Amino acid sequence: MHDIALSISGLTKSYGDFAVLRDLDLQIQRGAIHGLVGLNGSGKTTTLECILGLQGYQGGNISVLGHSPDKLHEARGNVVGIFDTPSLHPYLTVRQCMEHARILCDEPSRSPEEVENLLGITRFSDFKIRHLSLGNNRRASIAQALLGSPELIVLDEPFNGLDAGGVDDVLQIISNLNSQQDTSFLLSSHQLPYLEQICSHIAILHGGRVALSDETASLLGHSVSTVLVKTDQTRAATAVIEKLDGCVLLQTDASGYLHVALQKLESATLNQALIAQQIPVSELILERASLASLFRKITSEDP
Amino acid sequence: MSPLQSLTNGFTTAIRAEFYVSLRTFGSKLIVLAPALVIILQNLLIKFQEIAQQTRDSLLGNNDFDAAVADNAYGYFVDGLTTGLTMLGLLLVAQAAYSFSYERDVGAARHLLIRRISRTSLILAKLFHIHVLALLALLLLFVVSYVCSGLLWEFGPIVEDGFELISEAEIRDEISLGLRLAIIPIPAAIAFGLLISVSAQSTTQAITTALGITLAIDIFKSTLGDMSHYLYATFQPSLLDQSYLQDVSRIVRGYSDVLVDPQVQELNLWVPWPALVLFLGLALVLVQRRKL
Repeated sequence: MHDIALSISGLTKSYGDFAVLRDLDLQIQRGAIHGLVGLNGSGKTTTLECILGLQGYQGGNISVLGHSPDKLHEARGNVVGIFDTPSLHPYLTVRQCMEHARILCDEPSRSPEEVENLLGITRFSDFKIRHLSLGNNRRASIAQALLGSPELIVLDEPFNGLDAGGVDDVLQIISNLNSQQDTSFLLSSHQLPYLEQICSHIAILHGGRVALSDETASLLGHSVSTVLVKTDQTRAATAVIEKLDGCVLLQTDASGYLHVALQKLESATLNQALIAQQIPVSELILERASLASLFRKITSEDP
Repeated sequence: MSPLQSLTNGFTTAIRAEFYVSLRTFGSKLIVLAPALVIILQNLLIKFQEIAQQTRDSLLGNNDFDAAVADNAYGYFVDGLTTGLTMLGLLLVAQAAYSFSYERDVGAARHLLIRRISRTSLILAKLFHIHVLALLALLLLFVVSYVCSGLLWEFGPIVEDGFELISEAEIRDEISLGLRLAIIPIPAAIAFGLLISVSAQSTTQAITTALGITLAIDIFKSTLGDMSHYLYATFQPSLLDQSYLQDVSRIVRGYSDVLVDPQVQELNLWVPWPALVLFLGLALVLVQRRKL
């Protein structure tokens, strides 16, 4: 039994002269839900495809549950991938796709009826895949991945095309599988709020490398919240803020908002300090530290 | 796990998965049924044409002296086999070209490869699956052509002026040889289709390239002279037929001017096998490198 579900070291991948991944390192602990985020074209899908052995790479090592990506079939269904594009036979029905996927499982842990019910696609059982909407197609893809008992599930953009109910279902399933069966997940998505909600760990991909990877709570805990303050006495307010401990004035924008980073200070204390100096505050907007703000900060820097 | 075990891991699973899809989709049924249906149609049309001709002749008082020879069912049986095999050859190349490229295009191959099946096993399973389809199609083709010819005409020896020129046993031997020589290139044709399937960027490109090259070879093989005897496709029944089966059709109709070089027959027996090994080997090497 490996403690590490996935280990990548020094992964290098180029398309012609363009280096997409440069010395990428990433480790996923068994039982973790690891989110992978990055700008468009940052190499998220390429990373997942290299992990799943769907394309080769120029350098580095990848170990998926102790298997090399090009021999992933030796893991006998312990690793499954769900992709951003539909990847089921268009001319089979949903039920036939489930039966087809059962052939690939040594010991299916769930019946087709069970997984269809789990994903809410029972009424589409006899529909051909090509007649399904994108959202239901994605549900069917996820359903067929759950017929066995995979130890690692790799999902590329799992929330694309899903309605709000579908997103809730998928988040619930990920959470249940993780807590009940200790299934590890690697999720790549642009839906940062969902990742923030579900992921135990987050990795930010930037410039072909993992710029940041840690537990979600730790990443957000180290990030500072920002307050936007609007007042007609900007100069006086600036003087007050500069004297206060535990906050830093970042900038004054064109609309007259003072951007204040709260390090050890609560927004209420800042408000109180301004009022005490007879400075009327017309607006005070708290922007809590979020994955989105952290992501923007990391990806705005030069790699 | 030994390297060989690793390469062929999941072969039986791959075959089960192939047949599961095959039994539930249209393409495989088309390959098995279409050649047989075309033969039925061909024989019916010929029969109608003959009846019309005979009616016209009897009304005009003409007497066709070759009618007895021409009406021998063996001739139509071989014609049916030739037509069916020509069609089957093209269908098999197209199906082989379609098989891998389509699953790659729709992403279905990804699930197979990630979960249980090595790339080598996937290609070998496809090769096996298409051969089973070919075998079924050939059996149906043979039975339908035989029954259809037998119902519409009469099987018998070649008789001219009361003398038996060629006995039924000899006719059957010739048909058997012609059929055997025509079937031998089929595995190479399937492997060629698979090679194109693995190399092409899309399903459309795979099918058009595979069929395009097959038809181009058909046209240009006559310009190769004796060199064409080293080309597996020379021995396949085709649109511009040079196969031995074409000659058998003439033999069983009593033509005695058919001369087949025994050396060419020898080449027919062995040339398709190295071609098969070459195409399959290349397909297996290329599939390891393909992005899926």
